[in-house]
Amino acid sequence: MELKVNQDNCLGCGVCVVACPVNVSISPEVEGGHGSKTEEVIMMVENGVIKLFSPEKCNKCGTCQVFCPTDAIWLE
Amino acid sequence: MIANIKQVEDKDFNIKRSAEDERKLSYKDHVCIGCGICAKTCPVEAIELGNIAAIVRTDANISKININEEKCVLCGMCSVGCPVDALDLTIDNVSVSELEMYPKYTSSATIDDETCIYCKACEVACPREAITVSRDLPDRSKLVSGEIEIDDETCVYCGICEELCPAEAIYVTKDPENPEIVVDTDACVYCLVCKRACPMDAIMAACRSCSYGEYDIDPADAVTTGNTFIDDELCVRCGWCEGVCPVDAAKVQKPFEGELLVDEEKCSTCGACIDICPCDVLSFPESTGFGQTSAKIARDQEYCISCGACANICPVEAIEVKRTAINYTPTKSKSWTDKLESLKS
Amino acid sequence: MPKHIISGLKYLATIELKKRGYTQQKIAQTLEIDRSTVSHYLNGRNLSWKSIEVAQTITQLIPKDFLMLVDTLLNDNEATRTLVNICKTKTFKTQIKESCIGCGLCVDLCIMKAIKLDDLQAQIDSNWCCGCQICTERCPTKSIIILEVKDDREH
Repeated sequence: MELKVNQDNCLGCGVCVVACPVNVSISPEVEGGHGSKTEEVIMMVENGVIKLFSPEKCNKCGTCQVFCPTDAIWLE
Repeated sequence: MIANIKQVEDKDFNIKRSAEDERKLSYKDHVCIGCGICAKTCPVEAIELGNIAAIVRTDANISKININEEKCVLCGMCSVGCPVDALDLTIDNVSVSELEMYPKYTSSATIDDETCIYCKACEVACPREAITVSRDLPDRSKLVSGEIEIDDETCVYCGICEELCPAEAIYVTKDPENPEIVVDTDACVYCLVCKRACPMDAIMAACRSCSYGEYDIDPADAVTTGNTFIDDELCVRCGWCEGVCPVDAAKVQKPFEGELLVDEEKCSTCGACIDICPCDVLSFPESTGFGQTSAKIARDQEYCISCGACANICPVEAIEVKRTAINYTPTKSKSWTDKLESLKS
Repeated sequence: MPKHIISGLKYLATIELKKRGYTQQKIAQTLEIDRSTVSHYLNGRNLSWKSIEVAQTITQLIPKDFLMLVDTLLNDNEATRTLVNICKTKTFKTQIKESCIGCGLCVDLCIMKAIKLDDLQAQIDSNWCCGCQICTERCPTKSIIILEVKDDREH
């Protein structure tokens, strides 16, 4: 299984960035809704859309997909 | 040469080896709880656990486990180790769970029909929808301790009794020419609301005492009968039925004893553990008041089977399941005993 | 040619069984040959000495090759078991370790049918073991030990 994104669908709301447990453990400040200070995280909103930085760190828990309002991020 | 044959059907599969006897390992995905014990017990590392969280949460059409048929030696350790019997090894069509030389968890779930009052509490509580309670209610008319009669001479057909009757047993026709009042004695429960409300005192009651026993109730007529069914395939022996049973008719023995620990620091409340838990043990707690936070994950240890599915699925390793006892029938084989004991942590 | 090698092996087997005190009739039954053939073998008649030489060489091969060759030549599992067991020139000591998980793979693989399962443990009948080591090679837990004891026969 692989983490996929569709930037055309993305609203740039950042819910996935905050919800992702791995993101939070890598960069705790994202939990408070702040942008990550490091590009080590799995995904981040950049220029208004979601972008994958380190998808290989994904633990395939599916939380991002559960929370995304537009199905712009998913596991396949 | 001797080779294993794998047959795949949707998300289920079986692996077969036919020689001296026929060994067949079958896997049922809808029964699997994704705990990963099979992968840990396999002596030849032939079993791989899928991305359980993603599979469960995204409805992906993928089996929760995969077995490499070239590595599998059909020893049956996964079959014995599976706490929910999603894997089953048969030798000449007899399940190893029925062969005495193989160890077996002493887990069970039973409902004693003699004691059961058929309240259906277990049916509602069962997290796997494995219980069906069917019941026959007593004949209501046999539980009514009297009868009413209406004095047509006195009755003015006002309809007050009809409107009030909770059992809809009275019908009034207000035709001025030909008024009528009828009592459905099968529906009447002899509550006497009509009698008390009648402005004309036109309703007479024939009760137990004044009818010289005609309306005595036979206790045998008041009994609800029925039967209960536990679908062994779906039941995970979690103990919910025993916990909610008001008359101790349900008895459950779990395969493991243990403890579930959540590291509050690490937990990021993604909810994957709640989604995977086969026993409805985990939940998000409700806030106790404005501005008050409680534990991140609430857990009802009483119904935990210590399967470890939550610990496996947690993306940030915030959950630890400690198994302190494994309940199984003894085996003479040291390797099998060692393997089952190794499930303790 | 394959037939000649089998004849050679059967000759060796006849001699061996005679040594063990079998009657001619019993030998004929065991090896599924005519009584007259047994008689010929024992009297040293109607024989191709070349075939016997080849057969002798085969029995001296490493046990697995000996077994596989006979199995291929005969293409009959029961006959293979009988012939190999009589003609084998070595005996073996077998041991099963506690790590055995009772998967039964060895039982299925053993051409000599020397292995059975008892209480989730393999048990090898060393009288039938031909030392081919197929079981030790394929055992998933490396729980089988087969050792050659001694070279106790001469043809």
